[in-house]
Amino acid sequence: MRRGEMGRRDFMRTMGWLGVSGASAAAAAGLAACAPARPKASRDTLRFVCAVQQMTDPALTTWIEASNLFRNSLEFLTEVDADNITRPFLAQSWRPSEDLKTWDFILRPDVRWSNGDPFTAEDVAFNIRRWIAPGSKSVNRTAFAALRDLEVTGPHAFRLHLDRAVCSLPEQLYAFTCPILHRDFETRGGDWPKNPVGTGPYRMTDFEVGRQASFQRRADYWGPAPALARIDYVDLGTDISTHVAALAAGQVDVLYRVSVAELDLVNRLPQARLIRQQAAQTVVMRMQHDARPFDDLRVRRAVQLAADNAQMLKLAYRGFGAVGENHHVAPFQPDYAPLPAQKRDVAQARHLLTEAGHADGLDLALTIGNTQGRFEQDTAQVLQQNLAEAGIRLHLKVLPASEYWSVWDKTPFGLTYWSHRPLGVMALDLAYRSGSAWNESHFSDPGFDRALDNAMARLDPKDRARDMAGLEKTLQDQAVMVQPYWAEKFTAVSPRVRGYRAHPSDYFRMDKVWLADA
Amino acid sequence: MRDLAIFLGRRLGGLALTMLAVSFLVFLTLEFNVEGVAVKVLGQFSTPDQRHAWLAENGYLDPFLLRYLRWLAGFVTGHWGTSTYYHEDIARLIAPRLGASAILAGAALLVMVPLSLILGVAAGAREGSLLDRSISLIAIVTTSIPEFASAVFLSAVFVIGLGWLPGVSTMAGGFNLRELVLPVSVLVLASTGYIARMTRSSMAEVMNQPYVRTARLKGASPARIILRHALRNALITPVTVIMLQIPWILSGVIVVEVFFAYRGFGTLLYQASLNADVYLVESCAMVSVLVVVVTQMLADLIYVRLDPRLAAATGRKP
Repeated sequence: MRRGEMGRRDFMRTMGWLGVSGASAAAAAGLAACAPARPKASRDTLRFVCAVQQMTDPALTTWIEASNLFRNSLEFLTEVDADNITRPFLAQSWRPSEDLKTWDFILRPDVRWSNGDPFTAEDVAFNIRRWIAPGSKSVNRTAFAALRDLEVTGPHAFRLHLDRAVCSLPEQLYAFTCPILHRDFETRGGDWPKNPVGTGPYRMTDFEVGRQASFQRRADYWGPAPALARIDYVDLGTDISTHVAALAAGQVDVLYRVSVAELDLVNRLPQARLIRQQAAQTVVMRMQHDARPFDDLRVRRAVQLAADNAQMLKLAYRGFGAVGENHHVAPFQPDYAPLPAQKRDVAQARHLLTEAGHADGLDLALTIGNTQGRFEQDTAQVLQQNLAEAGIRLHLKVLPASEYWSVWDKTPFGLTYWSHRPLGVMALDLAYRSGSAWNESHFSDPGFDRALDNAMARLDPKDRARDMAGLEKTLQDQAVMVQPYWAEKFTAVSPRVRGYRAHPSDYFRMDKVWLADA
Repeated sequence: MRDLAIFLGRRLGGLALTMLAVSFLVFLTLEFNVEGVAVKVLGQFSTPDQRHAWLAENGYLDPFLLRYLRWLAGFVTGHWGTSTYYHEDIARLIAPRLGASAILAGAALLVMVPLSLILGVAAGAREGSLLDRSISLIAIVTTSIPEFASAVFLSAVFVIGLGWLPGVSTMAGGFNLRELVLPVSVLVLASTGYIARMTRSSMAEVMNQPYVRTARLKGASPARIILRHALRNALITPVTVIMLQIPWILSGVIVVEVFFAYRGFGTLLYQASLNADVYLVESCAMVSVLVVVVTQMLADLIYVRLDPRLAAATGRKP
């Protein structure tokens, strides 16, 4: 670092993969003196606009919003912070074997549950075993498909045995469905809001779906005391302009999210401060390889060549983000490999269509659900104009957001929102491995799968990037998708709010947030 | 009295038939595709095995008609099921929301009805005057502005611009009259003009009737003519319109409730639809129809009270 060969973020990231705690890493880098002073515990209450959803079993949660509530009380083995750097949390360190198939974890010995019980490896074993149990309904069962067994090796130590190398294991353990519950969770009713025991800094004191949830600071928290005495989550529905009005009227302090449509309004409000965050969230317009006419590579290539990704970013998302490269790996993910820029070529698109027997043009239908907002449909409308230049008549089939999830993996041509993944290899493993549960494009290539296995077996992202170049190129050459852009995230807070950072996955932590004097 | 009983019986029979037809349509729309129901209940990440097991456990592999009859029997006996989004008993969920919407509707009607009747009567009593033309113009302008536009406009002025009023009406700290001001204002703006214009045209027509002219020739004061002779007959049309506003405010003001985050029946229905809460949508739809049908029955009874000809037809004394 001192020789300037490695930046602060890269150094911290490397320490993270090696399972070295943030504090130790910062001390080693001489950064401790730069860290902002943590404010003292206050009597302040912060009001946060967020959907208050059911969270009976946190491992079965399907929406990130719910996890932002229980994240105040439940903690994770690892943490991927707002800078996309993985750090130890309840696990104070870990060590993978050479082949990345065996992982040894050491837990913090000083953690206690809010009911006074000590936190041990038995708690972790209870959670991980129920995630991967044959009858498990948790999405973790798919995410940890490679996990074969867990072995408790000490009161505060455990070992994971995997069928294949998974370099992203620490990152996966911070997925929103992976909070660590007390080992008696099931025997005490299996309904977390009714028995909200956790290791986190806050205790849930009030919970009503669709209305409000409140969290009170714990006096006996094992870590540093958070500044806020209380956090109230208020459900104001889904209309973001209503949330902005509440912020303007001083009725709330933090908004969960602001869409690109409200940016100008928020920027003009003296009662609001806009926060922007780069994230590997994107929309993917993927074509199913086993459905007509997309079973013909020439058709898929024509669609990709006619699409103008930069224009979609500019018109549909007002330029807030980075242009996508049609391979679902973001330039700001640590294992990204740069490839030569793809050029738009409408003439070549027409030529390919003619070769494929569509000289008179082609009718296609794109299914859209606007699951994250109207910008999805705006993007599709720009694509519609782009494709028209090549003679493709694109019909937009707009479904209600809730209906889209019934067809997202069935429709031949669909626009799906993909949320941030800390590593590029994670998205590829989930969405493009042959037969994977979330492989919505039905893309299947044994060579790609083998290359993915190789990439997953490399711990250092810089080494992995070499494999990633081949994977990215395959996805581009096979024209699996039009992936127009990486969309920034936005949120707004009251000017009194301090220490709040947007997170690329929307995984907010409130223990470092405080309110300045009015 | 017997005629009135027949009249009421007919109306109640119509109510039951309407509810039955709607219940079948609602069930057909929401539960015909059982795979869709499983996805909605278990979430988009559920596997086909999990969905199949859930469908078998919950009787979804039975024939459609059997499932419909079972659901209908449950609805009639008050077993409306559990909301998949709120995880609460649906009947217990709907009751307070309907109450909150009734408060909003009551407050809106309390302002809207006297205001629109006064404006309508004032305009209709002096047809063609400057007052009449001014009221008519204002009424047309306010009626033609949709609620979402007036909600945005009022919020921009009173919340963001002047900072006088709260931006949302969650009533989180208990009932707060200030939080009711904006949603009520939007509802009043949307409907007052329409009722006022109906009252005005009805009033203008009545004021040209021979019996009003006779009263005027007999030297009755304008106030006596309006209150004693014209108003009762002029009220029949506005009563219809007002009665139609009640179901609209109770279950149709989704835009206003959602915009101001008011926790009423409209927001509940909206959230249920948004989250594909099949059972809650079904129950909300049935309650909405019930509200409409019952309000119309009440309106019919009020006509009977107001119109002597209808009263005679049903055997009641005017």
